[in-house]
Amino acid sequence: MTGLGVASAIGIGVKQFWEAALAGRSGVSKLSAFESMPMEAYRSQVAGQIHDFHVGHHIEGLLAERVDRFAQFAMVATKEAVADSGLRLDREDPYRIGIMMGAGMGGMLIAEREYHRVYENLRPSRVVPNFIPQVTLNSASGALAIMCGAKGPNLTISTACSSSAHAIGLAREAIRAGRADVVIASGADASIVPLTFAGFCSLRALSTTFNDSPERASRPFSRTRDGFVMGEGAATLILESLDHARTRGAHIYAEVTGYAATSEAHHMVVPREDGLEIANTMSMALRNARIQPVQVDYINAHATSTPIGDVVEIKAIKHLFQGRANQVAINATKSLLGHTLGAAGALAGIVCALTVDSGLIHPTINYDDPDHDCALPGISGRAQERSVRVALLNAFGFGSNNATVVFKRCLT
Amino acid sequence: MTTDTDLALRVRTALAEYLKRDVTMIKPGDALREDLGLDSLTTLELLYRIEEEFDLEVPDTDLPGLVTVADVTAYLQRRSTQA
Repeated sequence: MTGLGVASAIGIGVKQFWEAALAGRSGVSKLSAFESMPMEAYRSQVAGQIHDFHVGHHIEGLLAERVDRFAQFAMVATKEAVADSGLRLDREDPYRIGIMMGAGMGGMLIAEREYHRVYENLRPSRVVPNFIPQVTLNSASGALAIMCGAKGPNLTISTACSSSAHAIGLAREAIRAGRADVVIASGADASIVPLTFAGFCSLRALSTTFNDSPERASRPFSRTRDGFVMGEGAATLILESLDHARTRGAHIYAEVTGYAATSEAHHMVVPREDGLEIANTMSMALRNARIQPVQVDYINAHATSTPIGDVVEIKAIKHLFQGRANQVAINATKSLLGHTLGAAGALAGIVCALTVDSGLIHPTINYDDPDHDCALPGISGRAQERSVRVALLNAFGFGSNNATVVFKRCLT
Repeated sequence: MTTDTDLALRVRTALAEYLKRDVTMIKPGDALREDLGLDSLTTLELLYRIEEEFDLEVPDTDLPGLVTVADVTAYLQRRSTQA
């Protein structure tokens, strides 16, 4: 990994994001009004929104203005990641540059606006011409390809909340299979809109207890957690083959060294309570990386702040790591951002890269009342510093979907 | 009643707003594709705006005739006369 880019509720740009993360700053705020919708009718009224975002402040040209918000986030993050990598994409073989994009929901802003209008007006001929190109899940990967001139493999992975963890894993596999020298792995979602938000409320998946103190609402591993907080954003990681990166003397944040993708084949929204499927996914990823559990220093947990999800993940970690579970540093990036759905894996990937590179582990905020069933010594409400040679990224999605990605410090 | 000049200005203004350019940069003889850089999709978006602005629908069969800014103006003039 040689380039990183972020558009998040705690900062647009990696520097701002990382400073805020290490300081434990929450990006969760009171939910913005949905026009004339009665906001008090929403059970959850907090979200990790990116406020005052104007794509034109970051990217020039009509393309960026004619894609949906999630794709705009992806373009902003990717522009930064490419610049950070130092790659001159115009000097690369365009057919050797791929894009792996993770998106859970797609162009939900235009989707909801146009659905509403067509049912209200009953005038199908007044649906905007750009509706289909904007709403499709792969509109972001298409826009990134156009922006970057990337003519290699271009895929969008949609596995809900694990989407962009798979994007990172599949980016690595595309390089290892010889299909590309450089792969832009990205994840984005922006679906804090009236119907989608209401859907998550109806699923009773969101936090409702902390509507008056939004920054406290996302509280993974805490005894008083009561659901996740909807977030939005994007992150992009530039992956390239080790030879390619070394030849040009690039700074290598970390190597992506293992990956596993599984399905629990169990339930659409709930993981198996014994955590064995999650433990198995982590174990497969470590075997893929030829790394033993005892070598793992840090885990970026999926940890969405739901009552069942957090405890199952910790159960899985205890099962796989045994005694090592008490020594591994663990944090939950969603405590800062809420759950950014399809962007969550890529944002966690950014955190893993920065953690391996710097040895700094951002705090899990609101971890002030640990749940006994989740508590491990490596979870802290404060930033930690330790040498991290091997990091694990967990991401689990609705539809019984699991992903684990393994990162390793690059020894030059 | 709408004059030719008013109509032409409305079309050029709609184009200028869409393209985020000064209206003086849009000339009647400009070709939508070659001179103004519209592609097939952006041409449709522009026509959508014009349909909204002038409260009419442009059938697919009329699209090939809309090559320049002046073509669009003349077309709208014709349609308003027919109405």
